[in-house]
Amino acid sequence: MVEFKKIVEVGRVVMITYGPDAGKLAVIVDIIDHARALIDGPTTNVARQAMSFKRLNLTAVKVANLPRGASSPVVAKRLADQKISEVFAKTTYAKKLAARAARANLTDFGRFKLMIAKKQRRNVINREFAKLKKQN
Amino acid sequence: MAHSPRNSFLKPGIARKSRSKTFGLHALYKKNKAAIAAAKPEAPKTITKTVGGAKNGNTRVVPAVKAPRFYPAEDAPVPKVNRKTVGTATLRKSITPGTVLIILAGRFRGKRVVFLKQLSSGLLLVTGPYKVNGVPLRRVNQAYVVATSTKIELPAVAENIDDAFFQKKAEKKDAERVAAQKDVDDKILAVVKKTPLLKAYLNAKFTLTKGQTVHNMKF
Amino acid sequence: MLHEYQVVGRKLPSEKDANPRLFRMRLFAPNPVIAKSRFWYFLKKVNKVKKMSGEIVNVSEIFEKKNQVKTFGIWLRYDSRSGTHNMYKEYRQLSRADAVTNCYQDMAARHRVRFGSVQIIRVAEVKAADVRRPYVKQLIQNDLSFPLPHRITVKESKKNNSTFVAKRPNTF
Repeated sequence: MVEFKKIVEVGRVVMITYGPDAGKLAVIVDIIDHARALIDGPTTNVARQAMSFKRLNLTAVKVANLPRGASSPVVAKRLADQKISEVFAKTTYAKKLAARAARANLTDFGRFKLMIAKKQRRNVINREFAKLKKQN
Repeated sequence: MAHSPRNSFLKPGIARKSRSKTFGLHALYKKNKAAIAAAKPEAPKTITKTVGGAKNGNTRVVPAVKAPRFYPAEDAPVPKVNRKTVGTATLRKSITPGTVLIILAGRFRGKRVVFLKQLSSGLLLVTGPYKVNGVPLRRVNQAYVVATSTKIELPAVAENIDDAFFQKKAEKKDAERVAAQKDVDDKILAVVKKTPLLKAYLNAKFTLTKGQTVHNMKF
Repeated sequence: MLHEYQVVGRKLPSEKDANPRLFRMRLFAPNPVIAKSRFWYFLKKVNKVKKMSGEIVNVSEIFEKKNQVKTFGIWLRYDSRSGTHNMYKEYRQLSRADAVTNCYQDMAARHRVRFGSVQIIRVAEVKAADVRRPYVKQLIQNDLSFPLPHRITVKESKKNNSTFVAKRPNTF
């Protein structure tokens, strides 16, 4: 059986994917029940609140040494000490989000240049692939 | 002349809007107060006419302007005079000389063109340039155009082109158009070539692909 | 969403009794109007005071900080189609009002009981050692953790989310 790497637990860093706080990072401070958790994001402007797991994406990052039900200042301190925002920025998920945002912000000319770049990449790959095909 | 009333009555004699409110509505305070002209000598209201007949007393006093034979029973409301005048459209902020535009309608729809200037009629003067994508010097309405954030540094071109340039004319004037187009194309192309891929960009047609929604896109 | 109100009322002063006794009640209601109505409903059951001959002195909402997850025990009485029952239930919520709201929803779902036929007797925070229900016991374990194996991604706002889609969602 595959071991789950992202699990719901106290200290798990989550990304809010829905509602007014969508796109912000927060931390699970306490687990209410199987569907909801108490989250807090003192460094990312997320108010301490109960939120459904349906609105949360679990990330690979976890805040260490966070007691269950820790107060906002404690959460803020742990987040700052462990440089969680930097750690998160290095994850694949964060990179994917950044790339998505960058692509959404492209101008018309930018989209055109991207299309050309993709075309060039495709050309190189296809040429090499055709060579290998011939060899076998 | 009476116009249709702006103030209605709640009950007969009680106006919906107060005197001070109607004063505000009339905006009389905004108007320049004209100096009162010196009173003109009044034209005489009556004329004395001589009449024939021995028993008629020789003269008779008659009104200068004859009273109309017909009176309307009620004041007929007359529509307000329209004081609007036709002006040139104000240019969208995102469109400045050198902006690359995407034409949305007409036979050049989807083409990316360079905006040169706004003409006195309010229409936009654009060019492909003709050499790059086949769009000649042309006028378009800004409503049928998407402004992109791409801008080129426009050299001084097409200064003497105005709305008259586009009027139908005799054959001999075609040469003038060709010359103007060549001049504009050469100058713009010199600038376009400085930015890599810009020429290819102007040559490419704008299309929407899967998953692209115009209102969520940046131009 | 229910709120917790404190309602104070008394019998109207009369010649017999110039200073009637004040009654204070904490109850849960969606708004102050229903809070007052419930106040008279409960008061006339236990005392010889009714709305006609009485007055409300004060209605004020009781607010609570919602910082911590707590386990609430709720003792209640409800009229079913066949009789009256007493019950004890446990809920994990951030506030008393939330727990009672949850309780009413739960009663409606499990027993088809409406608001009017449920009487909340007592609401109290329960210590971990005193928790009775196995579901809640699971949730108060210190090292609680679990995966979310069946996920459906949602778009960031409702307007981008379609209700009907051609493809079934990918859940892993």
